[in-house]
Amino acid sequence: MMTKTDPPLIECTGLGKSYETIEAVSELGFELEESESASILGPSGCGKSTLLRLIAGLDVPDRGSVSLYGKEISTPQRMLPPEKRRFGMVFQDFALFPHMSVGANIAYGVRGSKAEKKKRVGELLDLISMPHLAGQMPHQLSGGEQQRVAVARSLAPRPRLILLDEPFSNLDYQLRVQLRRDIRDILRQQGVASLLVTHDQNEAITFSERMLLMNRGRLVQNGKPSEIYRYPKTLWAARFVGEANQLKVHHVEGNSQTPLGILHFAKISSDAAASMMIRPEEIHLQPPEKGFPGGSIVSIEFAGPVQNLVVRLDSGEDLRVATSPKRIWTEGESVSVVPEHFQCYDDSGERLDDEADLTPPT
Amino acid sequence: MALDAETEIWAHLSSTVFPVYLRNSLLLLVGVGAGTLMLGVVSGFLTALFEFPGRRWLEWMLMLPMAMPAYILAMVYLELLEYSGTLQSALRDFFSWKTPADYWFPEIASIGGAVLMLSLVLYPYVYLLSRNAFQQQSPVFTEAGRLLGDRTRYGLWKIALPMARPAVAVGVSLALMEALADFGTVQLFSVPTFTTGIYHIWFGTANAPAAAQLSLSLLGFVGLLIALERFSRRQQRFHGKASSLRRSERRPLPNRYVPLAQFFCLLPVFLGFFLPGWMLLHWSWQSFSSWNAGRFISDASNSLLLAGITSLLALAVAMLLNFGIRLPNRKMLKGASRLASLGYAFPGPVIALGVLMPLSWFDQHFNQWLNAEGQTGTYWLSGTIFVLIYAYLIRFLALAQGSVESGMASITPQIEDSGRMLGSPQGKVLRDLYLPMLRGSLWTGGLLVFVDVMKELPATLMLQPFNTSTLATRAFAYASEEMLKEAAPWCLAIVMTGLLPVIMLNRKLRSSAIPVDTSHRLMPVPPESQLQPA
Repeated sequence: MMTKTDPPLIECTGLGKSYETIEAVSELGFELEESESASILGPSGCGKSTLLRLIAGLDVPDRGSVSLYGKEISTPQRMLPPEKRRFGMVFQDFALFPHMSVGANIAYGVRGSKAEKKKRVGELLDLISMPHLAGQMPHQLSGGEQQRVAVARSLAPRPRLILLDEPFSNLDYQLRVQLRRDIRDILRQQGVASLLVTHDQNEAITFSERMLLMNRGRLVQNGKPSEIYRYPKTLWAARFVGEANQLKVHHVEGNSQTPLGILHFAKISSDAAASMMIRPEEIHLQPPEKGFPGGSIVSIEFAGPVQNLVVRLDSGEDLRVATSPKRIWTEGESVSVVPEHFQCYDDSGERLDDEADLTPPT
Repeated sequence: MALDAETEIWAHLSSTVFPVYLRNSLLLLVGVGAGTLMLGVVSGFLTALFEFPGRRWLEWMLMLPMAMPAYILAMVYLELLEYSGTLQSALRDFFSWKTPADYWFPEIASIGGAVLMLSLVLYPYVYLLSRNAFQQQSPVFTEAGRLLGDRTRYGLWKIALPMARPAVAVGVSLALMEALADFGTVQLFSVPTFTTGIYHIWFGTANAPAAAQLSLSLLGFVGLLIALERFSRRQQRFHGKASSLRRSERRPLPNRYVPLAQFFCLLPVFLGFFLPGWMLLHWSWQSFSSWNAGRFISDASNSLLLAGITSLLALAVAMLLNFGIRLPNRKMLKGASRLASLGYAFPGPVIALGVLMPLSWFDQHFNQWLNAEGQTGTYWLSGTIFVLIYAYLIRFLALAQGSVESGMASITPQIEDSGRMLGSPQGKVLRDLYLPMLRGSLWTGGLLVFVDVMKELPATLMLQPFNTSTLATRAFAYASEEMLKEAAPWCLAIVMTGLLPVIMLNRKLRSSAIPVDTSHRLMPVPPESQLQPA
């Protein structure tokens, strides 16, 4: 591990890029350490691909800078050309060179003698478990094979960082999951830092140790996937990363009432709370019991490992609840709802930085 | 230029020759429109939807007349069919007729003759596009029609033809643009039209404003045709939506119709290619003893030189424009490439005039200045091969541009990005990735320009340097002196080069499993996206 004083592999500060009147990336800053893998998650059009291109050196920023080991490589005034950065890049459409064989594609970025190139190509073909396909042309390969070759090609010159721009979205579901695992393992094994751009939250959560959540060109949250999932910084983030029930907070006679009980905060005034968010799997259902908010089950969807229910509270709100399929519920059944983990947000949708307790409604 | 012309010229023109030009050009358009429609749609329909003996052969043979420039066809038929020609002489001998009053024979050197010649070489535009459209029609539509109670077996009138209509309209408008630009045929047949008018006014009276007036009128027609073509293309996109469903299987043609179908498909090929081709071979053989080999070689090398230089330059300019479009700040270049590809719609005489007028103005003024300085003047720019190449470039750049563009379309920006990310600077990306991937398109574009330069007649006639000529202009000069048989070897050489793109097109059509839109190969027009304001 590096000591804290070493400059990070990549550091973006105040990065901004506009296309005509649209601000694709604005005021963006983050760091990426050596061998770290992070994903950039956001809805399409949020500027995540632009961010990747700015880091790659394929686009010039309008504001701010990208630094490599503390040295500026992208500023509005000066750019280190992409070919000198030693970054690899994998594209959504694979972008294999159609007139070159698989072996030639992989060898393209390798510098050195013929023998060295050949050796490196062999290593990478082994790595992607396609040792016998060096002579094939790209169009003879399946989509999954093409993407493996694209990854191998980008790894061949031993880059410091691999940038992956929606690399799995052109593949069908099963293949996507399989390839995601394989490529994650390959990158970890090679110890190369990676930045994955995706709009698929599952992909972001499973692929990397760290997640950068982006919306409208801005960084919304930066942290471990589990942290972002459990403590989303905004309501938007809560909804974008997973499913979320959002319940209104009413302020009545000094009490902050929600359909699930009355909120009490440790440090802050409860007036600040405008809504609470609770994930479907953080709701525990039990047989009706006094002292807990009640409701009845209005719909059931059996989805294999989980059971997705909709519970209509006695106060009228619908709650989505995910439970284990071990206990089979029936429609119309009365239940009590026990919230286990939830977050509160102010009226601008920002998370309140305080733990809250719920007391059952009277 | 035309705008500051004196009104008298216009008054003179409009009272004398203009109505004649207008009438003839309109008749030509109507006639060629009907002719190409009939020949093209019927043959396209038959070969696309039916299986009959000889269909596979006819399918490609129907493209052959594209190799034949209209003026060469006109020369052959003039020699064959005019009063002193082969056929009439034979008939007179046989029936012992003495004078034209003894019998009736249609006059080939007429507007009708010109319509026939142009239809015979231009119908392949309609044929290719309509065949493509018929092939792309999914049987789902005719089946749906039959389920809905359409009693004709193929839904011909209600489904197949209306669905092919936009493609047919594109084909016809391309053919009409060529017909309007034709110079050689109408000149040989003494049918005065705008193109011959411009030529004669320029050479006869050197009256630049009048020639410019005529050019503008001609361009008005061209503009209308371009509008028609664009409109149809837009429709075509809409109509072609369902093409990916399923391709029509060819149905066997009932036996009693087979001879009729074969005849209909063979007739235009015979008249438009085999007969004239045979005659050219025959006459070349006949006149072999008097063949002026030295002259032929010098003309051929002029042609090859001009065509070679022009195609290389056109490819270079097309590459520049296409790469420019990918750079930032590309608005200007986009406009330039859009403008550049319009040149193909301009008839040769108009382009020649447009190139000549400013250059000769420069020569005149430069010479005046030289004379004043006590030097003797000369033709500095006008009358050099550079002018000629410049005019060719304007006219044919679109062919190279279209090919390179369709090649570039298959190279995504990610390919270049990948190259850069793998450590190659831009120059190496160009060499390693773009050039090899564009090789096919470059060959195609270069060949198309090459062949069109070889065939080009009016601009070459107007711009060729004194005492030099090309295969096309020599052949035409022979023909103008009624030495049609002597022209045969020259014509043959042009037709043989003309066969190259036909062979290429045929291979392209064969190799693609899905029918391809070949219209941009025939006459490249910028794709729709380029015409929309950015």
